[in-house]
Amino acid sequence: MSIKIALAGNPNCGKTTMFNDLTGSNQFVGNWPGVTVEKKEGRLKGHKDVTITDLPGIYSLSPYTLEEVVTRNYLVGEHPDVILDLVDGSNIERNLYLTTQLTEMGIPVVIALNMMDVVRKNGDRIDVQKLSAALGCPVVETAAVKGEGSMKAAQTALQLAQSGRRTEPQHTFCDRVEQALTEIEEAASGKIPAENRRWYAVKLFERDEKVLAQIALSPVESMQIEKAIAACEQEMDDDSESIITNERYNYIAKLVKNCVHKKHSGLSTSDKIDQIVTNRWLALPIFAVVMFFVYYISVTTIGDIVTGFTNDTLFGEWISPAVENFLVSINTADWLVGLVVEGIVGGVGAVLGFVPQMLVLFLLLCILEDCGYMARIAFIMDRIFRRFGLSGKSFIPMLIGSGCGVPGIMASRTIEQDRDRKMTIMTTTFIPCGAKMPIVALIAGALFGGAWWVAPSAYFIGVAAVIISGIILKKTKMFAGDPAPFVMELPAYHLPTVVNVLRGTWERGWSFIKKAGTVILLASIFVWFTSSFGFVDGSFGMVEDMDASILAAIGSAIAPVFAPLGFGNWQSTVATVLGLVAKEEVVGVFGTLYAVAGDALELVEAGDFGALGNIAQHFTALSAYSFLVFNLLCAPCFAAIGAIKREMNNAKWTWFAIGYQTIFAYTVSLMIYQFGLLFSGHGFGLGTGVAVVFLICYVWLLFRKGYKEDGHLKAVVPAAVKAQ
Amino acid sequence: MPLTMAPSGQTNTVKKIHGKDATKRFLESLGFVEGGAVTVISEIGGNLIVNVKDTRIALSKGMANQIMV
Repeated sequence: MSIKIALAGNPNCGKTTMFNDLTGSNQFVGNWPGVTVEKKEGRLKGHKDVTITDLPGIYSLSPYTLEEVVTRNYLVGEHPDVILDLVDGSNIERNLYLTTQLTEMGIPVVIALNMMDVVRKNGDRIDVQKLSAALGCPVVETAAVKGEGSMKAAQTALQLAQSGRRTEPQHTFCDRVEQALTEIEEAASGKIPAENRRWYAVKLFERDEKVLAQIALSPVESMQIEKAIAACEQEMDDDSESIITNERYNYIAKLVKNCVHKKHSGLSTSDKIDQIVTNRWLALPIFAVVMFFVYYISVTTIGDIVTGFTNDTLFGEWISPAVENFLVSINTADWLVGLVVEGIVGGVGAVLGFVPQMLVLFLLLCILEDCGYMARIAFIMDRIFRRFGLSGKSFIPMLIGSGCGVPGIMASRTIEQDRDRKMTIMTTTFIPCGAKMPIVALIAGALFGGAWWVAPSAYFIGVAAVIISGIILKKTKMFAGDPAPFVMELPAYHLPTVVNVLRGTWERGWSFIKKAGTVILLASIFVWFTSSFGFVDGSFGMVEDMDASILAAIGSAIAPVFAPLGFGNWQSTVATVLGLVAKEEVVGVFGTLYAVAGDALELVEAGDFGALGNIAQHFTALSAYSFLVFNLLCAPCFAAIGAIKREMNNAKWTWFAIGYQTIFAYTVSLMIYQFGLLFSGHGFGLGTGVAVVFLICYVWLLFRKGYKEDGHLKAVVPAAVKAQ
Repeated sequence: MPLTMAPSGQTNTVKKIHGKDATKRFLESLGFVEGGAVTVISEIGGNLIVNVKDTRIALSKGMANQIMV
């Protein structure tokens, strides 16, 4: 017989750790139907027929957030055989709030009292037997971080599910509320299933809209129920939902007093750290130092060493020559050797070269996340991000996006409010990702003699693009309204666990590696083929001169579009279009198309800018910078576009996001190029006129009065103010 | 007074929670209930980190102003 275990609990109670512990690598990650809330399922280790579903972390079963609705629908609709409820022992009062709701659902419940290691370390004691009796369900002590007790909790859940006993809620509310609930149960007895009568009665008492819509009450029934609720509200002088909330906390408070013995109250170590780390004056400097080290380690020291090894030794000395020798030794045709060595190994290898660096960055970010500092960063940045219409939670996707946009976009899931999340998804890829840095290095090296300011300016432009877009988008009707008020639980600081950090690093890095193996592989073959073949004197075949290739023909057809931006030649066009495949392709394509001797990427890394002279001939400093800006801001690579589509969950929004980014990039580059020309003494032309028009548009978009969501707010403004 | 005006380190009792239903419910499920204790741990520009029922919750100024102590 197959058994379904549902894993439920508050956010930050160690649910994911326990889920990983129980299922190992046997996981399937997907989405709950119709929403972008992640659904994780797995098989219990050693039990083929036991499925564990990791429900979203929630604080209650009220229908206010997407996660709560998803969890409720699952518990009511799918009816799992048993709920394994994770309760954070070090924070038991708040955690039991959800437990009181879960035990009402008519499903067997087992409590895993987690973080017992922390409880013991604090010197607190919890009387498990009393707790178990008071809640009516078995309680197992666990410490998921250390792998203690997880399996025992799962076994207990299995036994309970097999015994077929349902958990009866033991908690009671005050007499007045109980009376009202009994009246409701009687009034609606025909409409609600007997096994979770209590749950429905409480929900009806709370006037829960989702439940009211689900069970169609007759007018007589609803009138009786409404009468019972109103009488109770009248007597207790509060609304029904607050009454229930208070009753739950009252019951829990009594229970905690009986079962939990706290050694001391006062500030914990974590609180003391917070008093320094999130201090009004020290928060930003500490944050800046932490970030400096993260990037210094991942880009300059360790990251650079491993990247150098992958590019030069692994691919340059080991794989490429070995593959070439092998192919030559078995008498492979020349063109096929070219395809495999230059096209596939060269193309894919160039991309994979970034993987180590990115993994180091993700590893460090995962450590920050796991130890609890990342949540504080969101809090610290909230005050700043709020000024241009984003919430502090938008900062984390952008931080991760500086490594790779794909996991960055995926990280936007933690943002609850829909429009805040959409705006974050649209702007995250403006931050230069790891793959865009070679473009910056190439342009800086070939045209600006390796000037130091080019790379920082790329980040500056990225950040400015986020801010400008934030302000502009916020004034449109679609995004109007303040960003959702910031409320977030901050997990207590703790040492990161190796398994969690490695798992998180791998999950983010994998999305990048997968891209190299699929999209980039195909694109590399495409580029190699279209640039090696073409029509010469009316006959199709391999061409020596790349100007005659198919790629040149395609590029030339599109090139005029980019003429107003200063780079209307087919090479730049092809490079830009292929940048959609992967941004690092831009550099590779440049090297090939401008016939740079050697690997352009390596030359850039080695600082050998003289060898890039061929590229410099085709650009002015101005047109090169315009090219750079366009490539930084325009639509991201296919993999990131795919991530946008998954997270938006809507084709129209995906196209809107990509369209916005591309139009933004085009107009900004055009302004840079045209005004640059004007100020360097080229006179006022048609292009300058167009640039002026764009500039006026942007100024208007930035400073116009935004759309106001609440029409009635305007009416409050006194007439005298309006007349001025 | 609103929670934003409470001095750090001092434990206060929640008197009332204002705001729209959804906001109020969310705060309640996080542990902010009338009669419950709340301690401000740190404050940056009106945004607060508070301790409520043994958990640390970060609150923006707007949200903290809805909680009267």
